Amino acid sequence: MRIAQHPILGTYEKGQKVHFTLDGQDMVGYEGESIAAALHAAGVMTHRYTAKQHKPRGIFCAIGRCTDCVMIVDGQPNVRTCITELKEGMNIQTQYGVETKEAWEAKNK
Amino acid sequence: MKRHEVLVIGAGPAGLSAAIEAAKNGMDVAVFDENARPGGQLFKQIHKFFGSKEHHAKERGFNIGKDLLKEARDLGVKVYLDATVMGIYYDKEILVNHNGEVDHFKGDTIVIATGAAENMVSFKGWDKPGVIGAGAAQALMNLQGVQPGEKILMVGSGNVGLVVSFQLLQAGCQVAAVIDAAPRVGGYGVHASKVARTGVPFYMKHTVVEALGEDKVEGAVIAEVDDHFQPIPGTEKTLDVDTICIAVGLSPMSQLADNAGCEMKFLPKKGGNVPVVNEYNETSMDGIFCCGDVAGIEEASSAMLQGKIAGSTASYKNGYIDEDEWQQSVEKYRASLEQLRTGMFAPQNKGRTDMTETDEGIPLSKSLLAKGYVTDEELAEFPACSTKVSGVHPVIECTQNIPCDPCQDACKFGCIKVGSNISKLPVINPEATCTGCGMCIASCSGQAIFLVNEDYEDGFATVALPYEFLPLPQAGDKGKALDRSGKPVCDAEIVSVKSSKVMDMTNILTMKVPVEYAGTARFYRA
Ligand SMILES: Cc1cc2nc3c(=O)[nH]c(=O)nc-3n(C[C@H](O)[C@H](O)[C@H](O)COP(=O)(O)OP(=O)(O)OC[C@H]3O[C@@H](n4cnc5c(N)ncnc54)[C@H](O)[C@@H]3O)c2cc1C
Ligand code: SF4
Ligand code: SF4
Ligand code: FES
Repeated sequence: MRIAQHPILGTYEKGQKVHFTLDGQDMVGYEGESIAAALHAAGVMTHRYTAKQHKPRGIFCAIGRCTDCVMIVDGQPNVRTCITELKEGMNIQTQYGVETKEAWEAKNK
Repeated sequence: MKRHEVLVIGAGPAGLSAAIEAAKNGMDVAVFDENARPGGQLFKQIHKFFGSKEHHAKERGFNIGKDLLKEARDLGVKVYLDATVMGIYYDKEILVNHNGEVDHFKGDTIVIATGAAENMVSFKGWDKPGVIGAGAAQALMNLQGVQPGEKILMVGSGNVGLVVSFQLLQAGCQVAAVIDAAPRVGGYGVHASKVARTGVPFYMKHTVVEALGEDKVEGAVIAEVDDHFQPIPGTEKTLDVDTICIAVGLSPMSQLADNAGCEMKFLPKKGGNVPVVNEYNETSMDGIFCCGDVAGIEEASSAMLQGKIAGSTASYKNGYIDEDEWQQSVEKYRASLEQLRTGMFAPQNKGRTDMTETDEGIPLSKSLLAKGYVTDEELAEFPACSTKVSGVHPVIECTQNIPCDPCQDACKFGCIKVGSNISKLPVINPEATCTGCGMCIASCSGQAIFLVNEDYEDGFATVALPYEFLPLPQAGDKGKALDRSGKPVCDAEIVSVKSSKVMDMTNILTMKVPVEYAGTARFYRA
């Protein structure tokens, strides 16, 4: 959930509203915020599934160190979404191992 | 290859202060930070800092960060962001990954101020989405404006765990509990008390054994631990939470120093493997300095002073200031640093569990260490809580020796005294007359000061308290007064709400309660 009004910080300076997609679904966020923050605000917890055990992973450090939050952004895998700014029209996909769900499923059928 | 006389790695308080000091003396300085935002930890800290005026006490961390950054920029310091330093090579050369491109920089002096990394604990399900570091929680709520979760379990009761718990409450989240495997609350008592009085339970000698849930955290199982930190079967409790926040300590990020060839030492009191530095924060390698958390986990206030000492020494070694000037400035910074390194939480006392009384000889509160709040009986031993004066008067529930004195500066009427040793407990001067102005409440970094007036009206007293939550109650509102443990004890009516610029976002609520609760009512809930 977004914090509308904070007792110390007041209102947060947000950029323009932007539209992006997550696994093909339309989503909205604000320019300048991290992809991870926009997803978290929308209640999305899983960013990727691990390669071998297929376990879900989400935000952990939020400072670009742990790589738990990596996703496929505009076709590029392994993008650390916690330190990557959201931009209008981004195509974001949950990452399975190091690839898309489709590619992963094709291999692991 | 680009050249700057001083290359500073890390734009936190230590790095920025080193840069400012060197630039002030005329040096050409560049600062590198892997983040897109400079300021290190400071920009996530929205609470008022401890220390004395010269240490920026009672200023909020992010404002200190803004000031440092402005000063550095005004002095012409070049700040490279999104610039990760990957290695330090022979002859003061560094390799930087800047916006995805690798660049070489060469300097005469290198200051390593890379700060610390968060420690982790593992337990069943610890890798599920919803288990996050305390730093991540802060980044989400304080930088991005997004709640980390709705109901949170905080693991760790050091200052980080306590401060972040309070910040979570301010962000509108619920904190289900603060737990710690240690038998005692690790952070400042005043930080614990401001969390406890809102009703958050503290479970010491407890650990988290499992994160429940399928694809994300849907609950947490905690259990009591024995003296070897092993969970005791049968003591498990399930908490309804969606987020588990880990705050179990920090470790110096000293790899760069190690790789550069600096002599290293494992020092538990400093938080791990640290470069050995001399009294000027210089490592075993000539011209390579280390300051701030990377040289030993401490505070932003001490990180800034270490940075200044390093910056001044580099200026002297490179001929920008003469020996007298150097010695004078270092003396000044060192004296200021010594002030901070006093009291029961000083670095030299880290890990000590044998302290039973304050420097003044008053028994330390056991309840504070076990549950996060001081009992009425224990408080009665502290003069600043039990001074009898008629009319409105301050009650100062600050019961541990911590380096802090804004309360003394705040009272222009001489009611509060700490003295020159800033770790002494504040005392109240019964001769001085309190006007009820409230400046002491707003200045107290620990939110430990209340104004009590037992003579408000027949049968009723007023209690004024610091309040940093939304929605802000209004005069005339009726609700409950909570005691120090967060338990509702009586009805309360808000008689006034004071907010002003000088109070810097700390509001003062004055509530009317039956006079017999004047000594126990310490929080308000609508
Ligand atoms: C919750 C919490 C509450 C706190 N409260 C207080 C308080 O009340 N008072 C107080 O004085 N202190 C407080 N502190 C402590 C204080 O924030 C730290 O001690 C202080 O920030 C340390 O400063 P630093 O400059 O050493 O490191 P940091 O602030 O951590 O800065 C280090 C910087 O180095 C950068 N960096 C690291 N590696 C590289 C690399 N290879 N290349 C480029 N850049 C790199 C990082 O991105 C970071 O920006 C608190 C800390 C926390 C977490
Ligand atoms: S309320 Fe004002 S006068 Fe009274 S102790 Fe506090 S600062 Fe001093
Ligand atoms: S009472 Fe004084 S010394 Fe204690 S926390 Fe508050 S400002 Fe600091
Ligand atoms: S959450 Fe750790 S890298 Fe993004």
